Amino acid sequence: MNINAATLEASTGTRALFLGLLALGLVLIYAPAVYLLLASFNPGMQLGLVPPTEFSLSWYRALLGDNKLLFALTESIVVGLATAIIATPIGLSAALAFRVMGARRGTFFLFILFVMFVPGTIQGLGLSVIFKELSIRPSWVTVAAAHVLWALPFAFTVSLVSLAVVRPNMIAAARDLGASYWRAFIDVTLPLVRGGVISSFVFAFLLSFNEYARAYYLVGRQNTLPLTMFGAMNSGASPTIYALSGAVLIISFALVGALMIVGYRHAGPGGGWKKSTPASWKLLMLWRPNARSPLLK
Amino acid sequence: MVAEASERLVRPQTLAGWLCRPALALSLPAMAVLVGLGLAPLALIAIWSFWSFDPATYWIKPELTFAAYRALFETGRFPVFVRTIGLAGVTAVFCTILAFPAAAVIGLMSGPRRAAILVVLFTIPFFTSALIRSFAWRLVLGRTGIVNEVLVAVGVVDQPIEWLLFSNFAVAIGMIAAYLPFAVMPMVLVLARIEPSVIRASGDLGAGFWTTLRRIVLPLSLPGVIAGFLFVFVVALGTSTEIQLLGGAGDSSIAIMINDVMRVVNFPLAFAIATSVVVLMSVLILLANRWLGLSRMFEDLGT
Repeated sequence: MNINAATLEASTGTRALFLGLLALGLVLIYAPAVYLLLASFNPGMQLGLVPPTEFSLSWYRALLGDNKLLFALTESIVVGLATAIIATPIGLSAALAFRVMGARRGTFFLFILFVMFVPGTIQGLGLSVIFKELSIRPSWVTVAAAHVLWALPFAFTVSLVSLAVVRPNMIAAARDLGASYWRAFIDVTLPLVRGGVISSFVFAFLLSFNEYARAYYLVGRQNTLPLTMFGAMNSGASPTIYALSGAVLIISFALVGALMIVGYRHAGPGGGWKKSTPASWKLLMLWRPNARSPLLK
Repeated sequence: MVAEASERLVRPQTLAGWLCRPALALSLPAMAVLVGLGLAPLALIAIWSFWSFDPATYWIKPELTFAAYRALFETGRFPVFVRTIGLAGVTAVFCTILAFPAAAVIGLMSGPRRAAILVVLFTIPFFTSALIRSFAWRLVLGRTGIVNEVLVAVGVVDQPIEWLLFSNFAVAIGMIAAYLPFAVMPMVLVLARIEPSVIRASGDLGAGFWTTLRRIVLPLSLPGVIAGFLFVFVVALGTSTEIQLLGGAGDSSIAIMINDVMRVVNFPLAFAIATSVVVLMSVLILLANRWLGLSRMFEDLGT
């Protein structure tokens, strides 16, 4: 069931209508962010677009001198890395479990879906009272704990999709040749899902880096970057907030973009995918394993 | 296959053997996180929502009361519920309407390369800041924003339109833009599962685009369409970002109400509001699973 096996023929007008609605959706999603990015290069106090020749990094330079921001940025990076380091292996492990789960798969997936949809405010509130009862002081650790929960469903899904290339008979072959489960995992599974693991790590980091509803309830004395930004957005914004927003957008786009480019480079014709894997989910992990791998015939 | 093989290899006879079953052992860390950090706090606040507030300690004491739930219906709190649910509904309707053609283009009307690029474009927003994307609408919709400047320059209006920003309109636009990808993803998944020969057969039998869409594609993808609607609805139900950044003065939502109630340390009331939302959400997800086989929709993943 390849995603593109069936092509629905449509008249030019119908095609235009559908493509138009698709474009409208993409414009709604991207246009404001792009506009903000362009406006952040305006050196004036008045916001708005200036011709590219007048672009200036002056507001970005102003950011560098702001210690409050740099502390918040450090806090967010620490929380993000902690989240990614913990959520990635747990997600991979859960995905490996999912493959051998049999009938309880559906329930497990539903459970993950449920956790993912609990509003951040409510999850943050719940965790904050539990930590209070356990006398755990709010700090970057409590924020990271909430973010591991938030990133786990994504890490799980990305790992699961990337595991599609690992066929049961590959593991069986390794086992026949005398490898332990662990050995087979290290020598066969892990190299094949390397890309998925990297994607999972980056996505977990970004999810944490941009999260604020949970962090609102769980931060210690040092705010994370999104919380600092939220404060600045609601207090008669100086143009530095636009530069800061621009910088965060650039970091997010650059990280996802880098993953995509690396993934695209490694995409060989045919790849290691089973035909039944929908192309969309292959792309969700933004990586295709090396087609020349001898294990993938 | 792996399941059978591994279960045959490791037949659980002792507790240690039982714990060593791969499915269980491998899912333990995730289960610990999901239950310990996810469910446990929710269960606790559900229980504590029936306790009474203790003014002496500014905390709660174990005396059963429904006061918090009665307070849900007092002093303008109920309208916030209605408003939030209404807004989530409107957002979900518009997202569904916009997402279906997008998913149809990706799943049925594109070559592999374009489909791949489009899926990536609808995936990236998940990993960018909702806060910033919402904030960006202020620049676009503001009094001196680009929309107003264009409208004035073209001569459609003499004065900048005031209701573009800090209004229900701005909140709705911001939410639709933010949650559209949530609607697109499940639809792409179900469209990808439609047997291509069915669509080809429909064409061979003389059905045009719209007939095939209405009689073949839509019925087969309905679970995904409803799932898309539901995903947006549930996420929109719990958000505060768009209303805080784009809404009018005094505008509220359930999440903002929880923050406000917590600021005056009325714990049982905050817990009661949170519990109501989680219960509503759970019921919706469970119903969707019952009717649409939500969990089946994703079972192809990773196989």
